[in-house]
Amino acid sequence: MKSKASKSWLTMLTLTLILSLLAACSNNSSSSNTNSGNAGTAANTGNSESVYKEKYEPPVTISTVWGVDPALKFKNGESIENNVATKWALDKFGIDIKSLWSVTDTNGAFATKLRLSLTSGQELPDIVVVGNDDPQLAQDLIDSGAFQDAGALFDKYANDTWKAAMEMDSNVWNPYIRDGVRMGIPLLDYAYNHDYLLWIRQDWLDKLNMEAPKTIEELEAVLEAFKNNNPQGLKPDQVTPLSIGFKSSLNTWMGDPSWIFGAYGTIPEQWNLAADGTLEYGSVNEAMKPGLVKLNEWYNKGYIPREAALWDENKTAEPAVAGTAGIIPGPYWMSGWPLLDTAKNVEGAVWKPYPIPTGPDGKAGRHGTHFTNGVILINKDMKHPEALFTYQNYLFDNYANPAPGSEFDLGLFKGYDYDIDENGNPVFGDDIPGGQIIAPARYFLVRDGARIPDAQMNALLALADGKEPETRLEKDVAVNYGPDTPAAAKVLLSQEDISMKNMFTGPTTPTMKMKLDYLNKLELQTFNEIIYGKKPVDAFDKFVETWKSSGGADITKEVNEWYQTVK
Amino acid sequence: MKLLKRNWPFHLMILPSLIFLIVFSYVPMAWIVMAFQDFKPRLGISGSEWIGLDNFRYLFEREDSVQVIINTLVIAVLKMVANLIAPFTFAIFLNELRKMFVKRFVQTLVYLPHFLSWVILGGILVDILSTDGGFVNRIITNVFGIEPIFFLGDGTWFRITVVVTDMWKEFGFGTVVFLAALANVNPSLYEAAEVDGASRFKQTMHITIPSMIPITIVVGTLALGNILNAGFDQIFNLYNPLVYDKGDIIDTFVYRAAILNGQMGFGTAIGLFKSVIGMILIVVSYRLAYKLAGYRIF
Repeated sequence: MKSKASKSWLTMLTLTLILSLLAACSNNSSSSNTNSGNAGTAANTGNSESVYKEKYEPPVTISTVWGVDPALKFKNGESIENNVATKWALDKFGIDIKSLWSVTDTNGAFATKLRLSLTSGQELPDIVVVGNDDPQLAQDLIDSGAFQDAGALFDKYANDTWKAAMEMDSNVWNPYIRDGVRMGIPLLDYAYNHDYLLWIRQDWLDKLNMEAPKTIEELEAVLEAFKNNNPQGLKPDQVTPLSIGFKSSLNTWMGDPSWIFGAYGTIPEQWNLAADGTLEYGSVNEAMKPGLVKLNEWYNKGYIPREAALWDENKTAEPAVAGTAGIIPGPYWMSGWPLLDTAKNVEGAVWKPYPIPTGPDGKAGRHGTHFTNGVILINKDMKHPEALFTYQNYLFDNYANPAPGSEFDLGLFKGYDYDIDENGNPVFGDDIPGGQIIAPARYFLVRDGARIPDAQMNALLALADGKEPETRLEKDVAVNYGPDTPAAAKVLLSQEDISMKNMFTGPTTPTMKMKLDYLNKLELQTFNEIIYGKKPVDAFDKFVETWKSSGGADITKEVNEWYQTVK
Repeated sequence: MKLLKRNWPFHLMILPSLIFLIVFSYVPMAWIVMAFQDFKPRLGISGSEWIGLDNFRYLFEREDSVQVIINTLVIAVLKMVANLIAPFTFAIFLNELRKMFVKRFVQTLVYLPHFLSWVILGGILVDILSTDGGFVNRIITNVFGIEPIFFLGDGTWFRITVVVTDMWKEFGFGTVVFLAALANVNPSLYEAAEVDGASRFKQTMHITIPSMIPITIVVGTLALGNILNAGFDQIFNLYNPLVYDKGDIIDTFVYRAAILNGQMGFGTAIGLFKSVIGMILIVVSYRLAYKLAGYRIF
């Protein structure tokens, strides 16, 4: 009897196991069935005339995928798939944003997941928005053939505001042109957004009675004082005088070391215009040598973090926010994030923006910013591509840089980046009940909503000259961008001529595809070893030789052939 | 047939894992042909150009390939040895514990790190091994009075760190296998030895250890198949350009070449190369195990 009971138990267990497996399988298949059913009906209606509408009834679906910035916050239990912006899109336009998947974008997770889904032939979303941090990804996606002529759609549906913004720089389409067809819509960004300057602890300088450094030499004196005569009373091994990191690259955005090479005349890891009018790879320029020597010297003296080789961008911000760093290179908007928090940790901490110091020959350099920070790709099977334009056109007209009185006058979403108190006055920042969301524009289908390249700089310069904020953008930068951002914008523009853009924006060349990962490895390894004193600086010459013979020379040739076609 | 009738629930219970195996291990084998193609996702298997053994040739022509293979072998072999010796010794010690409660408690305790992911551990290790006030280096400087060690930035120390942390994470799991073997030792052997006046030490030497040899061979043989797997998750979360020289392994190299740089065919070729070497080693060591220890797994 007992054995019989236990046996039936076993059978039950087994059946449950099998059933749950079957259930899992059939669940999937049934949902995909309904999907294809929807798709079928949608396709039939999709081809009818006058498709562009201000509002879609019944709602249309736009599917997409998300790489979520780890710094992006949510409130009220929302997520990137379902939040105030997706509800807004459904109410306002009848556009249902459907998320196929999302991933927290650390260590390039978004690019990896997207590549894998491409290779394994999974369903691609209607709209993919890809950033510039991995330019190859956009090229791979275009090469997959799954996306359509976005340029034609843009000409047909985009409104004047958007078109005017796009025309500010005709080069923005270059990376995405295939045989004359514009395969992606460049994602416009604010000009100079990734240009950087030096943020220096003004309170430290004042206590030491020092001036902000104008040359590398003066900078060293400041670093020395920060380190060994710290005005905050920190012991030398507790201070990070200059917070930089190069785990992934010597040319990045926050904690960026590339200006150290700029002082000698080159910017590493990008293609610069050489004196003879051709493009040259910055990392193999002779000027790298004195820069590497300088970094090695600073490493030995403890001016830069001992673990700089292990630090990525966000890590470099940690000592800056904790109040133990003296200088951090970074974009002009850092006054709002993350440096705003320093004063909470250390009383009286003040960050001020300063220009990039010059080298012995009076040279200075920083990497420049393209007007784009990515691309919007439109799936060729997308049922309602016009819906994307309904969404974006509205944002360009009413959000990008509207006259006073638009829907977004105070901010994007009430209760997120602004709120109204009981007297009817707007409140911002920490006064918002439940906490503030920085940059809720990241919730939009297209990252950051809509940006007109020169709009923000114009607003900032107006504020820097003492104008009262009037337009939405002026109010926005006044409230959300930190107290020193207008001043920083002014500093940034005072050095406009030292900004060097990466001149190569074309698709990956054949030799790059075969050799680039090896060349990058060789480069990072050599530079790190020189900085850490494991190899003498002469190892640089050998690196240049190997770089050229292992494919670098071919790549240079291919890059210049491309450059001739767009020049 | 009668046996099948009686045991069908057990067979049914194997089914889910069998389906998993087929879907995730056998079906993808069809795509091995990518190794012989200049694979482009938009063209697919049927449309991509056949290039014969070019992918394999390129693997051996690359300037850093040999170093990467050596790194992989060194790290994998060290890990294999460490992950055999540590659980073996620990299982013997644990077996000598008389108090059942303590034994179970310790066993569970050392087993737990196995369930932590390297993504989490990577973050933790970077912090506790930091030269700027990391926990470990603070002990080294304060107690032993020597310079802080750059565990993750020095090639040799990096290898040691990788092997030791992997051993710490996995030896509890290995111990379970050995303890299971020890539970199967016939108690009458110990009783007979006691009657003959053997001490505990002698019992361990002549009964416990010999009875663990077969399972040790099994574990060792199976591990040989992983000789070219030095642990992607772990290395990827800990390495940096400073230790490329001694820490870059085949898998991280494939990640950069195949995933980041889009050379899918090349990546498949390396994967195939790894699998073939692994299979040869398993077959050889299996034969050896049968010949030397008279033990068959299958």
